[in-house]
Amino acid sequence: MNTEKKLSVKNLTISFRTSNGKVQAVRGIDFDLYKGETLAIVGESGSGKSVTSKAILGILAGNSIVEGGEIIYDGKDLLKISEDDFHKIRGDKIAMIFQDPMSSLNPIVRIGRQLTEAMILKGKARQKESRKNFNDKLGLLCENMKKALAPNDPEKAKEIELKCKQFDKFEYKHLDLEKEYNLAHEAASEAVFDLENLIFELSKNSKRDLNYRINNDKKLALKSIQKYVVNERAEELKTLVSTISSEYSKSKKSDDFTGLMDVLTKVKDILSEALTFTQPNFFSMGYYLTYSNQELPDMNVEELNAFLRKYLDDNFMLEFIKEEKEAIIYSANESYREKEEAITFLRNNMDVFKKDNLNKAECIAAWKSLSKEVREGIDKLELVKDSFAYTFSSGLKTEIDAYFTAIVKNEKETKRFNRDTVKYNKLKEKGKDPDWKVIPAAISDLELKKYNIVHQVERLCEHYENKIKTRDSRDYDAEAIAMIDYLKEQASGVVTKVTPTMAKNKAIKLMEEVGIPEPRKRYRQYPFEFSGGMRQRIVIAIALAANPDILICDEPTTALDVTIQSQILELINDFKKRRDLSVIFITHDLGVVANMADRVAVMYAGKIVEYGTSDDIFYHAAHPYTWALLSSMPDLDTNEKLDAIPGTPPNMIYPPVGDAFAQRNKYAMKIDFERQPPMFKITDTHYAATWLLHPDAPKIDPPKAITDRIERMRRRRGENNAE
Amino acid sequence: MPNNDEVLLRVEHLCQYFKMGGAELKAVDDVSFDIKKGEVFGLVGESGCGKTTTGRSIIKIYDITSGDIYFKGIRIGAGIRSYKNNKANARKEYKEKIAQETDPSKKKALSDELKAYIKEQNNQIKAAKYDQKNCDKEYQQKSVAEVKEKYLPLIEKASADEKNAINKEYSNELRKARKTKLVTQIQMIFQDPIASLDPRMTVRETISEGLVIQGEKNKKVIDEKVYEMLELVGLVREHAARYPHEFSGGQRQRIGVARSIIMNPDLIIADEPVSALDVSIQAQVINLLNDLREKFGLTIMFIAHDLSVVKYFSNRIGVMYFGKMVELATSDELFKNPLHPYTKSLLSAIPLPDPEYEKQRKRIVYNPLESHDYSVSKPRMQEITPGHFVYCNDEEFEKYKTELK
Repeated sequence: MNTEKKLSVKNLTISFRTSNGKVQAVRGIDFDLYKGETLAIVGESGSGKSVTSKAILGILAGNSIVEGGEIIYDGKDLLKISEDDFHKIRGDKIAMIFQDPMSSLNPIVRIGRQLTEAMILKGKARQKESRKNFNDKLGLLCENMKKALAPNDPEKAKEIELKCKQFDKFEYKHLDLEKEYNLAHEAASEAVFDLENLIFELSKNSKRDLNYRINNDKKLALKSIQKYVVNERAEELKTLVSTISSEYSKSKKSDDFTGLMDVLTKVKDILSEALTFTQPNFFSMGYYLTYSNQELPDMNVEELNAFLRKYLDDNFMLEFIKEEKEAIIYSANESYREKEEAITFLRNNMDVFKKDNLNKAECIAAWKSLSKEVREGIDKLELVKDSFAYTFSSGLKTEIDAYFTAIVKNEKETKRFNRDTVKYNKLKEKGKDPDWKVIPAAISDLELKKYNIVHQVERLCEHYENKIKTRDSRDYDAEAIAMIDYLKEQASGVVTKVTPTMAKNKAIKLMEEVGIPEPRKRYRQYPFEFSGGMRQRIVIAIALAANPDILICDEPTTALDVTIQSQILELINDFKKRRDLSVIFITHDLGVVANMADRVAVMYAGKIVEYGTSDDIFYHAAHPYTWALLSSMPDLDTNEKLDAIPGTPPNMIYPPVGDAFAQRNKYAMKIDFERQPPMFKITDTHYAATWLLHPDAPKIDPPKAITDRIERMRRRRGENNAE
Repeated sequence: MPNNDEVLLRVEHLCQYFKMGGAELKAVDDVSFDIKKGEVFGLVGESGCGKTTTGRSIIKIYDITSGDIYFKGIRIGAGIRSYKNNKANARKEYKEKIAQETDPSKKKALSDELKAYIKEQNNQIKAAKYDQKNCDKEYQQKSVAEVKEKYLPLIEKASADEKNAINKEYSNELRKARKTKLVTQIQMIFQDPIASLDPRMTVRETISEGLVIQGEKNKKVIDEKVYEMLELVGLVREHAARYPHEFSGGQRQRIGVARSIIMNPDLIIADEPVSALDVSIQAQVINLLNDLREKFGLTIMFIAHDLSVVKYFSNRIGVMYFGKMVELATSDELFKNPLHPYTKSLLSAIPLPDPEYEKQRKRIVYNPLESHDYSVSKPRMQEITPGHFVYCNDEEFEKYKTELK
């Protein structure tokens, strides 16, 4: 199995404010998600499985309180990052498929629009962002280069500034060239796409919007005539295009479209051939055209690319990279020095948070100075942002705020509790039996909150120390080249525009991929025109449009019937393999889990009660709740009475003291009602939280229904293999 | 397994079409089956195949388009489309015949024949319309007559003191008898326990509503009955005063069950009663239905798409596909020897809680255009082995027969 951790959830605790009190939905769960695996979370409704997944996606309801824990993705704690940062992760990196496909689609917007909307919006946002990133980075680089190479030499500094400006200038030329090329190239690909359809439809004798579409294709074909797209056959293309109109009117009169189809096919062939040509290196071409004062040499594209590359390297790039590397080293060293300072400063000024009673003004002042110190320690030239340091300030502020709000709240709660008790006792004295109870005061632990603050600071110190330790292993050469690549990428991001047609082509391709027949027709339909299974496919297509890393499926097949269910499951499995996705699969159907999961976590009352590979859970289950789940569902050979789990899950406003499952558990022991069981390790991959695994506990075998089923399934498998 | 062969419900050529703009949607198309007393009849198929529509047509939520429904031998539902079609076809047929005929006397004879046929069909239509509307009327008259028979001699015999009391009882019973309906002996349990309970009615009101409509006025009797039902389905008396939102999903479904069995039904149509519930609660509700069935000898028509549950619960299973019944057999037989390709594909899609098995499981894809060639001979329901019906044409019939051997 792949051991690259994609997501790790640690000690996550979430509760909800309701009018009756605080509902503890998730009570400290831990799990890791590895790359390319499916983790199934199984449990009844109300066990907190959906809440967990919503927390990962940052879409918890307004009345939720995240009491503690962390969700680490890509080095960031998803519980602490800002909403703006979350926008870049949600949908892009972590996508979700919801239970009810009807309510997750907009009923009054066509499917096509819903599929392309995000693509177009993201494209626009990316353009703006790329421009900003490019300018910022180049500015920073220039500054650092000046500092590193010419600390006291104004002339040298000027020279460097000039160089950076040079970079900027030929970058503009590069963008112009690339834009021109992109426009033509895109026109060609659009024309090819549409012509293919048109020819196909004509062969099927359908003539919808024929006049408009032919004119449109003519326009597109002429647009695609450009030096590097359609060059040599431009004349041929022009003559062909000019014959289309006459051919069209001729065909219309005779009602025989073969002539028109021939011409269109020829046009299409020219264009599709043009699409296969190599793209010239516009970056170096931009430099050559701006500074060499010469025409481009007459060569084919490959030779030209090599020539331009060499010219650029000789005249500018090699030297620039060398200087750039100096700048990066300089900036890194500066930041290491600052980091060391920051560590000592933090360590010295931490006492403010360790006092018995914290002073608010002092804390805020300390927070300000600490954040400033930490911010100075950040190496701004680093391409991979040190998210931990960046989020330190806001994280610390949240913790401090939590402490001070808790003080006020605790006071209020005690007051209310006292008032209620007095009232209750008075009623009791009068001999009445009040029909309400005094809700116990919800006092938050101030020591814990204080510890959280200190822990935050300590963790940053450790993080910085680690960074300093690894400073020798950095490869500055690679970083310098990565920087140039980054700048180039951002620059081309400015000119890559996602047009509606491009988005449409991509959407139709995606719809084909998820198995929707006639995607072109379906593209224009509304969600109500789709059946349940098709709707769920659309939802999956939308989720996969952005190529996410992690896919969360929240009961994606519960609303569907068996055949559609297995189709959807196959689809998800297929995509998982093809794109190496990590999937979190939430369900209460164990049959589905057996099909999908690599590992399974069984949740009950906000806790994970058993955790293991799917073989562990299905063949060697150890927790009574897992047993109950497995034996309460009938399979094809069950004849005896079902082992239903008696009762309902506990009220999570007043969670039980001991094991939450004890009351419905027929194997419950005395200790189950008194103390919560810890996680017992059974094998390296298999853990379960039940006192039955304690060495002193009596040995209990799993129920007969389960052992029988395992035996039966083994026989059935044997039969299948024999066949 | 019930050993008597008394047929409780018989459905013949049931068609239910819905108007959709100009076109017609054939939700249920020519479905026939019968349910024997005391058995559980399962109806499976993918969503949109017409299972629920069949159930709803039986309790007369919809007016059926064509076909007959017999309950305890009495026709409770009848459609007229088939007779109308017969009429039109006959007219066409005879018109051609008459046109070909040259002899005027024979022409006359033919047109008389046609007239007689149309008259007969018209009578059928009348009868069907009458039954559709008045099926309960005769039943009411019968029960009224029974009550009269029982009480009238009593009243004559009774002394002056007792007369008042008996008279009161008599009028009470008579009122109830006048309001009885045959169709109330068929009750339905709905899929969604949240949507099928009125949020503004207490549990007592919900459960007793049927009784009240039937003319029960004595509050004590009603309360006693409600408590009895609540205890029967595993709830407690105190729950009667509560509202549906105070219950969990499983408890709500129990209320739905209580509401349907308070009418003392003979047949319960359970429309996906466990699909909306959690696994652990599912088992509770299934066990409850099983207990009730044993206790009252209920007959249940069980509509579901979860095949494992249907297999566990039903004696016989009908498989539906796009409004047609494609296979009908006892549950063991169906799962052991599925014949129709759609049934095979359905069975191959069931996920089972066993990872090793799941890795091997291969789904069979059903494509009606590839699997069948109905261009020459038309398919119909045919009995392959006793009790095992498959929708097939003659050619496939032979194929299936050899397959079974």
